[in-house]
Amino acid sequence: IYPLYQLGNPQLRIFRPNWFLTLVRPGKEQPPDTVQFRIPMEMTKYDVKNYLEKIYDVPVGAIRTRIQFGSNKKRNHLHQKVKQPDYKVAYVQLAQGQTFTFPDIFPEKELKHEEGSMEEMQEKFMEDEKQRQRLDPRRGGVTEWFGL
Amino acid sequence: MATSSSAGRVLSLCKQFQNVVRISSAVNTQSCSPALTKLPPRQYREKSPLAALSWRSPSSSVAPCRALHTTISRRGLDEFFDLPENWGETTVKSGAPWTAKQLRTKSNEDLHKLWYVLLKEKNLLLTLEQEAKRQRVPMSSPERIRKVERSMIRLETVVNERESALRMLQTGQEKARPGAWRRDKFGHVYWYRFKEYAIPWYMNRRYKRKSFFTPKFVQPHIRLRLEKYLRQRARKTSLERRTQSKLKEKFPHANISAS
Repeated sequence: IYPLYQLGNPQLRIFRPNWFLTLVRPGKEQPPDTVQFRIPMEMTKYDVKNYLEKIYDVPVGAIRTRIQFGSNKKRNHLHQKVKQPDYKVAYVQLAQGQTFTFPDIFPEKELKHEEGSMEEMQEKFMEDEKQRQRLDPRRGGVTEWFGL
Repeated sequence: MATSSSAGRVLSLCKQFQNVVRISSAVNTQSCSPALTKLPPRQYREKSPLAALSWRSPSSSVAPCRALHTTISRRGLDEFFDLPENWGETTVKSGAPWTAKQLRTKSNEDLHKLWYVLLKEKNLLLTLEQEAKRQRVPMSSPERIRKVERSMIRLETVVNERESALRMLQTGQEKARPGAWRRDKFGHVYWYRFKEYAIPWYMNRRYKRKSFFTPKFVQPHIRLRLEKYLRQRARKTSLERRTQSKLKEKFPHANISAS
């Protein structure tokens, strides 16, 4: 689909690239300047370098790629083999001594329901129920088995 | 590809900001792209000198529109992640996807920039999806990915429409890639699209092994296939007629359905 390259041809330029990179958390411990991406199979190291430099303005040093084989071992309820898709992984090392740590995107958040909503009433009801089940705090954790 | 020189990028970003303002004013509020609703706040957040803007007019003489001098968003790898206040939310608000009708009103530069905006948004959402799978947590509002996909497909169609119109006017060719109608071994007639080679076809051994004709012994198979197809079509029409007649029998006063 791309025009054939012969010596002297102009540099191929792609407008509106249809490639999407996925930043992933590394499974194994990586050096601080390494960023791990999942890239489409058709991309090469030079493609990724240009992509990150031109679109994201990220200085890229070394870059290594490998293809991860998606397993074909699992079987479905019809005993047919189910293939997980293969994907290419790129390990990008940032230039100019920059470091990158994968942030925690799902921090624990306090769930506050709005006033007068159904969820709030349910929460309050559950709280009251639990309060009734608990023993007298003045007993200091001693069970009902003891006592008069 | 995006301009590589920094000066050009500043200029394009100035224009981008102007265009963003123009886009958001031209398009009604319910149907702005998901990235658009976030793009202005992102730029506002990191540029503290935005409060004390340097309003420089491009020309010293009469300048009815003042150019906005802004810094480029240099967030680098942070652009793969959402705004920190959206981390951990179950639902994130996003607008409707772009329709082809809206995209046809935009200029080519606007569409080019929008493509990259949508691309970055899609990368962001894909990283979010993967991280959610990793942490075994439901992803916040996964419909955003489909919206961005649809917007990109529509953008592509609009751009292709414009390109093909231009090509028709300039050269008279309908298609960018040349091709021909050819038969394969089974008698099917299909549009074969040409591929670019460095050598002519008579020197290409792999190409010569392909045969673009149907041998004579395939004719009975073609006839049987045709008969099967006609039989299936006849069965479908007769079934429709039978159901319609039965319905008319049961409900004589009901009007004929559209199907």
